[in-house]
Amino acid sequence: MSRLGIGRALGSATLLAAVFLPQSAQADQQACIGNSGPLTGPAVFGGEAIKMGAEIAMDELNAKGGVLGQKLRFIQYDDAGSPPRGVDNTRRIALSDKCVAMLGPYHSTVTLAQAQPVNSIGIPYVGVLAASTKAIENGAEKNFMFRVSAKDKWVARFLVEQAVKTSKTGKIAFLYENTGWGNGALPDVKAAMQAAGKELVAAETFNWNDQDMTPQLIRIRDAGADTVVLWGLDREGNQVLRSMDKLSFKPVVFGAWGIAGNLGELAGPLANGVRVMQTFTFMGVQDERTKELWSKVQAKYGLKDPSEIKMGSGVADAYDAVYILAKAIEQAGSYDWLKVREALYTVRYDGIVAKYNPAFDATDPERQDAILPQYYKLTVWLDGKLLPVEQTPYARMQ
Amino acid sequence: MSIVLQYVLSGLAIGGIYALVALGFHIMWAAARAVNFAHGDTLMLGAVLAVLGMDAGLPLPVACILSIAASCLFGILLERFAVRPFNESSASIGWMLTTIAVGIMLESLVTMKFGGFSRALPSPGVDRPISILGAGIYPQELAIPVFAVLTMAGLRLLQTRTLVGRAMQAVAFNRQAAALMGIDVNAIVSLSFAMAATLGGAAGILIAPVIQASATMGLIFGLKGFAVAIIGGITSAAGVVFAGLIFGVIEKFVEGYISTAAREIVGFSLMIIVLLAFPQGLFGKREIFKV
Repeated sequence: MSRLGIGRALGSATLLAAVFLPQSAQADQQACIGNSGPLTGPAVFGGEAIKMGAEIAMDELNAKGGVLGQKLRFIQYDDAGSPPRGVDNTRRIALSDKCVAMLGPYHSTVTLAQAQPVNSIGIPYVGVLAASTKAIENGAEKNFMFRVSAKDKWVARFLVEQAVKTSKTGKIAFLYENTGWGNGALPDVKAAMQAAGKELVAAETFNWNDQDMTPQLIRIRDAGADTVVLWGLDREGNQVLRSMDKLSFKPVVFGAWGIAGNLGELAGPLANGVRVMQTFTFMGVQDERTKELWSKVQAKYGLKDPSEIKMGSGVADAYDAVYILAKAIEQAGSYDWLKVREALYTVRYDGIVAKYNPAFDATDPERQDAILPQYYKLTVWLDGKLLPVEQTPYARMQ
Repeated sequence: MSIVLQYVLSGLAIGGIYALVALGFHIMWAAARAVNFAHGDTLMLGAVLAVLGMDAGLPLPVACILSIAASCLFGILLERFAVRPFNESSASIGWMLTTIAVGIMLESLVTMKFGGFSRALPSPGVDRPISILGAGIYPQELAIPVFAVLTMAGLRLLQTRTLVGRAMQAVAFNRQAAALMGIDVNAIVSLSFAMAATLGGAAGILIAPVIQASATMGLIFGLKGFAVAIIGGITSAAGVVFAGLIFGVIEKFVEGYISTAAREIVGFSLMIIVLLAFPQGLFGKREIFKV
């Protein structure tokens, strides 16, 4: 065999070894946290929220010397809301940038597509916005999918409990968008109603871009509902409120956080009294830690008013997620994916959104989610602003 | 009774939007035998520019007039650079691709500059609904089908009573013969695209208070407006307006009595059946090409 031949044989042997060795053993994980999120398209504000929270947490950590003596970097790629691009970015973050962990995106459809590659590669993944139940509770034996955000299953329970408390007749209807997100919530809402000893009087859908919902609302009205749980986005949420207005039908509306964006601007006074679930808000009277975070966001991104942040929950969730990851890396004493994953189950941290005690629980598949429903917040639209419900006249009704 | 009336009124409002888009397709086709496939995006342009004008501090009427003027200019440029070079012979189809491409580019550009959120365009027509025999509707919504019918009537007068209108029909009938008769074919085609875009921009402003201005607002209406133009017979202004209004009302009844999900299935099935029975559309004239 010529020298060249030996070289080739060695080369292919190395290549084979690289292919067949467990990936965490070959990878040399770097002090970076990746994220694939929408930086173009209609949900840009979601990607921006994640960036704000993650960058500010990393600035704070780096100012104190970083994690294990290394400064953390934030790497963000655009998924434009498209699942294939989200999967592609996942591979890039894990295998090319070799980041120690990654944060999840805005869209549930993207996070659902990422679950399989994340678990097969074995990189710790912490969702910070998308709330799909199945993406995190995916049944994998060794689950690398974690979340510091809301979970639809718990959101449904939270909103239904609030709706039951408010409803005078106990007749509650569900109105949801005809997408993966809306359809995924239907069984969650039904189960939550059952747990409350009730049944939905109506369940109706609408499509994106629909401009009139009177037929669905006539059915909901005729079913006697006085309270509507809504799973949709601002644009369609506005059309729902306007169609209610046309029918002079005034039920109390409880929405998932798809209507936390600019519903108040679109619907004007019609939005007053619409309750929205969130994990965090910069609006209203701020406590000390919120004030501190807001002043940093304000300075770094040149904002004037907290209402300019369209997804405050995303900022705070990403902020807490980075701290939880940093603590896990410190406890693991290493940037190794597997060790960091194990350490995530032991992190205890007093975050801005919740007290994580511990953040995750290895014995309970439901507890790959860190923010428990007791920390969910009810906010309410009032004169174009989305305020914590306890700071408004609607507090009495809750 | 009030429920049936509710479906009819809501259906007329949405049908009016389809009719306005379809009228734009009709104007272009009736002179140029080509259309801007992304005509829905012209409506979007009108609405978005009006909102941006108001952001810049202009009063609403000024913002609207500037936005309509910009839409008109867009139509002229589109015809000059994306249609004319690709529509040399009657068999050319390059303009289909180029107009769709321009539409996609426009949508992406607006998403970048305007953001992903829908924005409201203020109008006194959506302040509070009026009640007609128990059915509720915003005055702005009622204005949409009325505007569509008036535009159709005006267009009809233009086509039959004016020299320009007749020249448009002549160009559509036979370009070469029209040119031999001394008609400036390019100018007439350009005029038809300008008219369609002006109407599109105005329609966008009219519907924006109802459906909100956003980068993607034109997508579905462009598609359904085209479908309606085909069903109604793209050569007939009255046909496309009638088909648009009926299509909107049928959709509401399907939503009301079957389900929201069934709407597109029933709607597009109807379109196929109509085309099988009337290949020229319901009110279209059979076109005879002499070779």
